[in-house]
Amino acid sequence: MGKHGRVLGIGPTDNTSDQRTPRQPLRLIPEVARSSFVPVVPARYVTNPHEWDMTRTAPDRPRADGVPIEVTGRVCTASGRPVPNALLEIWSANLYGRYRHIEDHSGLRLDENHLGMGRVLTDDEGRYRFWAISPGAYLARPDIGRWRPKHIHMSISGGASRMITQMYFPDEPNNASDPMAILMGDAFERNIGKPRDPGGTDVEEGYDFDIVIGGRNATFFE
Amino acid sequence: MSELTSNLLPATNEDTCGPYFPIYFADPALEDLTRFDPGVVGQAAGTPIILRGRVLDRHGDLANGALLEFWQANAKGVYRTPATEGEDDVDPWFHGYGRLRTASGAYGYRTILPGAAPGRAPNITLTIFSDGINRIVTQIFFEGQTGNDTDPVLLSVGAEAPKLIAKHDGRTAGGCEVYLFDVVMAGPGETPFFDDLES
Ligand SMILES: [Fe+3]
Repeated sequence: MGKHGRVLGIGPTDNTSDQRTPRQPLRLIPEVARSSFVPVVPARYVTNPHEWDMTRTAPDRPRADGVPIEVTGRVCTASGRPVPNALLEIWSANLYGRYRHIEDHSGLRLDENHLGMGRVLTDDEGRYRFWAISPGAYLARPDIGRWRPKHIHMSISGGASRMITQMYFPDEPNNASDPMAILMGDAFERNIGKPRDPGGTDVEEGYDFDIVIGGRNATFFE
Repeated sequence: MSELTSNLLPATNEDTCGPYFPIYFADPALEDLTRFDPGVVGQAAGTPIILRGRVLDRHGDLANGALLEFWQANAKGVYRTPATEGEDDVDPWFHGYGRLRTASGAYGYRTILPGAAPGRAPNITLTIFSDGINRIVTQIFFEGQTGNDTDPVLLSVGAEAPKLIAKHDGRTAGGCEVYLFDVVMAGPGETPFFDDLES
């Protein structure tokens, strides 16, 4: 490591990335201050029992439009230690590419049976599971015809592990032009869910998405 | 991280938060660390403060939809971590982690003034997630605190130290001391950010 930390990349064709990405190289943290930069998120059990099933808005409501999928995986640190009791906050667009968010002014179609927000906890082995509707892609830059490939947003917090990421889908035509995927380069592959047989569950597709929380923060208290 | 990575698993890439972090996930208990549920006796020790400010982009416009996370020591300068578990000076009514989403880019966060950890001036670590970027991290200090002159983080940024110091607003609001702290994400006046994941 030299005198500076990373220089953050700006996502190509992403206006917000251009507006918000720091231009200076990140500063190195003086060693005596290192521990103060590691938040320890208290255990938070703020989930509702039905939130693992994002294919409907409530247990007694019909399924939303689209293909129901199951996403499962394990959250661990880069040293392989599971992250138990971590809170996963999940959000995604509906089949038509619309978020049920008051600031989504796209005008795309809402689905009365789709909320697109859910929370689950990891178990003692760091494993998680939820159901969702396979989301639609949406046109992010109408002026140049750039789409956001279908993706599911995930925020993970537990102990010194903290990450916001997205799970993408294999072989999607818009993956290659996504600004953040371009910045990830070959490592983009790690953010793609791996298709698997959904087994006997009441969904049509299954995906495995293991999440490895990298960097020094996640391992600070190991 | 480049050299000693051979035994480590390749990390999942961080990604942008996007513009639509659900307001549904808001937790009022994390937006005000002095708050308690109705009818509960208990209070974080220390001086209540409100930290107010704006998150600005490269053009000086408000950065709407940003998710802000705060981390700090308690009034005695002790962080609640696995390393301090069971220590007398851990405040049972204060964990030190806060989070809020600002719709407009302006924010107000209620907490207590952190104490000074050994060798440090009082500070709050700020992590920002937003559309267009992965996490960025800095530390917020407080005008007039002893230790600001010798704090290693403030010293490390040299002449840019004033960008990391919250100014007292000269008044109180609702029993809280009010401090002002703007963040400039990029461009002229850019706030110094730190490489917390790798340095
Ligand atoms: Fe999205």
